[in-house]
Amino acid sequence: MKLAYYPGCVSLSTGKEMDRSTRAVFSSLEIELEELEDWNCCGATHVSNEMVATGLAARNMSQTELDIVTSCSICYSNLRAAAMKLEDVEIRAKVNAVLEKEYKGAKIRHALDVILEVLEKDDQGIVVPLKELKVAAYYGCLLSRPPGVYSPEYPVVLEKLIRILQADAVDFRRKTFCCGGPIFMPKEEAANETAYRILKDAKEAGAEVIITVCPLCQFMLDTKQRSVEQRYGEEIGIPVLYVTQLVGIALGLGPDDLGMDMNAVSPMPMMERIYQRMAEQ
Amino acid sequence: MATAIEEDFKNEVLRLAGEEVRTCIQCGTCSASCPTAHLMKPSIRRLVKLCLEGRREEALHNETLWLCTSCLLCTVRCPRGIRPKMVVSALKELADREKIESPGKNYDHLFNKQIEEYGRISELPLIGEFLLFYPQGTVQSMKVGLELLPRGKITLEREQVMGKDEVKRIMEELGK
Repeated sequence: MKLAYYPGCVSLSTGKEMDRSTRAVFSSLEIELEELEDWNCCGATHVSNEMVATGLAARNMSQTELDIVTSCSICYSNLRAAAMKLEDVEIRAKVNAVLEKEYKGAKIRHALDVILEVLEKDDQGIVVPLKELKVAAYYGCLLSRPPGVYSPEYPVVLEKLIRILQADAVDFRRKTFCCGGPIFMPKEEAANETAYRILKDAKEAGAEVIITVCPLCQFMLDTKQRSVEQRYGEEIGIPVLYVTQLVGIALGLGPDDLGMDMNAVSPMPMMERIYQRMAEQ
Repeated sequence: MATAIEEDFKNEVLRLAGEEVRTCIQCGTCSASCPTAHLMKPSIRRLVKLCLEGRREEALHNETLWLCTSCLLCTVRCPRGIRPKMVVSALKELADREKIESPGKNYDHLFNKQIEEYGRISELPLIGEFLLFYPQGTVQSMKVGLELLPRGKITLEREQVMGKDEVKRIMEELGK
């Protein structure tokens, strides 16, 4: 399988572990990724004009004829929303009038979707079963919104993946509750509060690890975890892994391949437990 | 009778957010679904009403716009098929045109400016420039920086695309 890969701006800075683990997992699953030529920012949640946002996405989508895969739920949501908008012939004509290459339609996939498709067919690659590992599957908002692929209210795709990896999904009430990431700079308190509620819920559910599918969720729950602990005077101490990092462990990839040294809350004690459990079986 | 200014304002919001906004029944599903609703005044439900009544000043000068996290839950759930988040987006755009000052607006403005100039976002210059407007964010940014720096996640390099002219054209032509 060969796919066009849209890394997104965050993959070059705060989301480096997402990018590194995505490339490592896809390579391990023998899926070739061809980086999208001269890709631009999708606008994230900060471009308010819908036509501009559609145009920015269309420029990216016009660079390839392959299916496009991204690991970032914000990019994924924006490209999907734009592709839907571009079904309208008038809008498509307007956008194409300013593009260098013509937009002719595109299929957008989240990395999670591709990984699941491969592992559902053949799970031979899972050499480190994550037995007994208690995982909180955190979806956030934009993996499933706008609707059309996964349930926007109660998605279960991550739980499915967790079962294939032989781990246990904990009952996690706030799995689709917003992390507050898009407003963390101008509205720090509001964002800290949303992140705190999610972290606390995962902890109370008995999670050993939280997995995310969006680099901004990852940032809010992992990078900001210490600040949130300080703000609420409460220890949380739960490692937060990008979904491709967790899949990578099960595929036998090492900490370096998966950028584990880039997570703020060290996942190393959890990894040691995984290897120890495997040795005991 | 609505004044011409009120009518123009309402029509511009409808143009940007969709004509179906007219069909709002004020049920409050949007407010009930919103993760930051408890901090908003006016609520998202009321914001839609203000737009339909052409109450420009009240609709543009508030912090509700900048508390929206773009989670889209209001839009998923609206029984009338309205996109309340797109009403917020329309108001954000109008607030930017009117040069209304708010930390949230300034952040979005800088974000858009970076895309227009470079085609990609480089986080360090973005945050740096934002803090000039909003020094209150310095402590938070320092804390985040201390987490990111030792993990090699702060890059000094400026990211940019080759097709800058094309990106600029998208921003200018389609933003009209």
